Amino acid sequence: MATIDIDAPGTSQLFIGNEAIARGALEAGVGFASAYPGTPSSEIIGSLAEIAKQKNIYVEWSVNEKVALEAATAASYAGIRALAAMKMNGLNVASDFLATVILSGIGKKGLVLMVGDDPAAHSSSNEEDSRAIAKWFDIPLLEPGDFQEAKDMMKWLYDLSEEIGSICILRSVTRVAHARGNVKLGEIPKVDHKARFENILDPKNTLPTSIMTIPSSLRHAFQHMKLDKAREKFESSSFNKYVGPERPDLLIVTCGSGWLYSQDAVNALKIENGVGILKLGTLWPLPEKLVKSCLSRTDKVLFIEETDPFLEGAIMEYSASMSPESRRNIYYGKHTRHLNAFGELTPDAVIKAITTILNIKYETREADYAKKLEAVPQGYTMERMLTFCAGCPHRASYWAIKNALRMDGRDGFVTGDIGCYSMALGPAGFFQNRTHQCMGAGTGLANGFGQLWRFGFDQPVIAVAGDSTFYHSIVPALINGVHNKANFVLVIFDNSATAMTGFQPHPGTELTAMGEPAAPISMENICKAIGARVEVCDPFDLKKTTDTLLDLLEQKSGTRVAIMRRPCELVRGKKEKHPYKMKILQDKCLGEDCGCNRLCTRIFRCPALVWDPGIGKTRIDEVICNECGVCADICPEEAIIKEAVLV
Amino acid sequence: MLTKTRGVKELLEEVIDAGLCAVCGACVGDCPYLVFYKGKIRMLDFCTRSEGHCYEYCPRTFTDMGMLSNKIYGVPYTGSEIGTVKDIFMARAKDARVRSKAQYGGSVSALLSLALDEGIISKAILAKTTRDKLPAGYVATSPKEVLECAGSNYMAYPALEALNRIPRESKDKLGIVLTPCQSLSLAKMRSLPPTQRVNMANIQVVVGLFCTWALAYDSFYEFLKDNLDLPRVKKFDIPPPPANRFDVFIGKEKKSYSLDEVRQYRMPTCAYCLDMTAEFSDISVGSVEGVEGWNTVIVRTQRGADIIDAAKKKGRLEVDALPAQNLTHLKEASMLKKTRALKEIIKRTGDKNNLLYLGMAQDVRDKLLA
Repeated sequence: MATIDIDAPGTSQLFIGNEAIARGALEAGVGFASAYPGTPSSEIIGSLAEIAKQKNIYVEWSVNEKVALEAATAASYAGIRALAAMKMNGLNVASDFLATVILSGIGKKGLVLMVGDDPAAHSSSNEEDSRAIAKWFDIPLLEPGDFQEAKDMMKWLYDLSEEIGSICILRSVTRVAHARGNVKLGEIPKVDHKARFENILDPKNTLPTSIMTIPSSLRHAFQHMKLDKAREKFESSSFNKYVGPERPDLLIVTCGSGWLYSQDAVNALKIENGVGILKLGTLWPLPEKLVKSCLSRTDKVLFIEETDPFLEGAIMEYSASMSPESRRNIYYGKHTRHLNAFGELTPDAVIKAITTILNIKYETREADYAKKLEAVPQGYTMERMLTFCAGCPHRASYWAIKNALRMDGRDGFVTGDIGCYSMALGPAGFFQNRTHQCMGAGTGLANGFGQLWRFGFDQPVIAVAGDSTFYHSIVPALINGVHNKANFVLVIFDNSATAMTGFQPHPGTELTAMGEPAAPISMENICKAIGARVEVCDPFDLKKTTDTLLDLLEQKSGTRVAIMRRPCELVRGKKEKHPYKMKILQDKCLGEDCGCNRLCTRIFRCPALVWDPGIGKTRIDEVICNECGVCADICPEEAIIKEAVLV
Repeated sequence: MLTKTRGVKELLEEVIDAGLCAVCGACVGDCPYLVFYKGKIRMLDFCTRSEGHCYEYCPRTFTDMGMLSNKIYGVPYTGSEIGTVKDIFMARAKDARVRSKAQYGGSVSALLSLALDEGIISKAILAKTTRDKLPAGYVATSPKEVLECAGSNYMAYPALEALNRIPRESKDKLGIVLTPCQSLSLAKMRSLPPTQRVNMANIQVVVGLFCTWALAYDSFYEFLKDNLDLPRVKKFDIPPPPANRFDVFIGKEKKSYSLDEVRQYRMPTCAYCLDMTAEFSDISVGSVEGVEGWNTVIVRTQRGADIIDAAKKKGRLEVDALPAQNLTHLKEASMLKKTRALKEIIKRTGDKNNLLYLGMAQDVRDKLLA
């Protein structure tokens, strides 16, 4: 597979959407790229980081999205094209700065914010349509409909950003970001980046004396003028296209992944002669003239787009300003329930909407298709629930948390956070997480619960957070807790990686995104400096970890911290092998008998422990066992042992 | 006894959540689902078994007293004041150092030390308190360790947890010191030995302790913690009536509480217990009213008698006749506990044919109620 910096202009390469976006940034001569990882956006910075040194660009995994965007903006002020990337939740974090940078303006070099949305929340805690922020904050926004556009739009947005003097947004969705397709490459320019924040006394200075948002109303008006300029360019942009008959019976207006689905649907239904597709790539501001000309040539309009009815709303709103004769259209979409304003678009959903409107009979799949599909892999795959990897330290941590809370006996509970450990909502973590919202929320909630003792609340509260999350958004909540004497225990799972999004480094780790030595920030020093009592334990030492938690719970006041430190088994496994493997002494295994009743396969449920109903005992699946050895400690009969292997 | 053998669900419903748990420890120590922590049995995860040792050996699930008495002593359960008696007398440890550490006369320490020294047993299961005066089951393997366990703090504790922790393949000969509720669950284990647990035949001697009631570990602990510097406490004592005191010895000082104040921390389950003298034991030991530094000793079995003889012969134990008046008082107090408990049980169930956990012949019941 080619890396994104392959020097072969004119050739086609197979890239995933995110690599195409990164390539676009390279072709635009980007010199600075920063991000906080989040699916489906992580591979953009990830692939840029790999080639950063030889391309002389700076790439950073920032502590959070707001800092990433601010850092990238600084580069723009100093004359370097800059990129900030994030997922939709990250946009929320960065939005405070975003709302003001549109007023203060950017530097003379372009600034692009790339945001990856995750319809159906495959790897997210919510569904969110980032396009809304473009309208809300007055920012030009483009969305690619395929991989080629992903690259080309990214490149073009820098020209636009510089021409109008505004930050611009590229939005993509999971199905574009993570699917793979051909991308025809352009040239990567050789840029000799020279950064300088111009002195105001310098006669050639292009920056204002003060980069600021005031007078806000006036600057807001400027931003609207910039939008008008962008709109003018959008009217003739090749990212917008119409395919279909001159006067279609039905006009589909679509963008993003809907573009390919709509073409599929029209082809499958063989209605090319009656149905036209207007595919928009420049979504905000709306290219009104183009839209108007298409609307005036049809009676029926169907909107196909992911998540929110963004184009649907904007175009219907715009149509109200059109002349009466061009206002006769009937609009279909989410507001008419032909499509859902939640979940993910599918070609089937698009076909269903079209056939309903046009009254066509078409069965996309046999009625029992789902059942048949389910039957196909049976016997070839193991049934496995959503769970932590074999040997994951989180399973051990949650075992200790569960036992400590049950032993404590005061109905204590866990407020959860975002990361692999979110799976503790289910059996993987013994249903311990009782809440699940956004990054940092668990500790924020604990701040509230921790003050309720004055109203008779006497349950202990444990807030959990991953190491990366700690730096990203826990620190202010911890400060709030210690300062206001909130009664809770914060457990930080320090597995030395941002594991869920692909092992990116974070401020606690030893290397930067570019593989250079970093200054690791000690989380215990931060916690201690804030004034919290801090205990560090190894979750694989179940007894000590449980005892430590019990002791922290016993304290019954103030904000306390337990750091459960153990590298992610996948990170460790790449570096070393354990000198033993796990073995089950079958004669000792009690199976379902009194004194065990399948504790390891019924409650602990590491995927490497397999219940064998034939012999009524547990087996080890040696293929996936990571030899963490924790099961040996939970087995009440000491039937699971570590057996030395010759290395 | 096997009319009702159930699992942890019923144990929770009928015993633990019903406030009847005596924290004897019969359900913990070899079960990964139930643990003893700070005075209570806690459930870590739910066990789906419909039958379990936890329910079967609990002293507050159905207990056929007649069957137990028959199996252990070969006689029916009659509801007599102090159970089966082969012999009864006063005794004390000959060694003054043992007596100085002991609650009363040091007889228990003397007997177990002898049993260890003579190879009658290789391990003794007793109660030992932590620095914070929290008692837990403890396995002693030497007279020195036995002596470290001397003294009482009147709190309920899970002695049988220590027994359950002994590996099932162990060949160690065991001596065990138990309160009446604990000896009742051990009697259930001995009469219907559990599978997958230590061999009950390894138990060579059961020493029972007289008990009127025990204190609940969590609430009494909170009370103590607020009132005393626990690590400095040397001894707790409830002097015989009519003192009505709870004495705490801290260094050379003594601090006294009204027994009424302390009584509020009693285990609720003690109100339903009929046994003051640990009737299912080989030897039962308690204080002697009005005679400081001596124990009342009841010998119930031949193997109990053999150990007493050996202790006398080896000069470990000094014995004397129990004054007749003391025996009368002991029987009165013991009978009072029986009748009170029976009435409390009937008050709770509202039905004299429903005696909660007690399986008892009707005539025995009626005799006690008369």
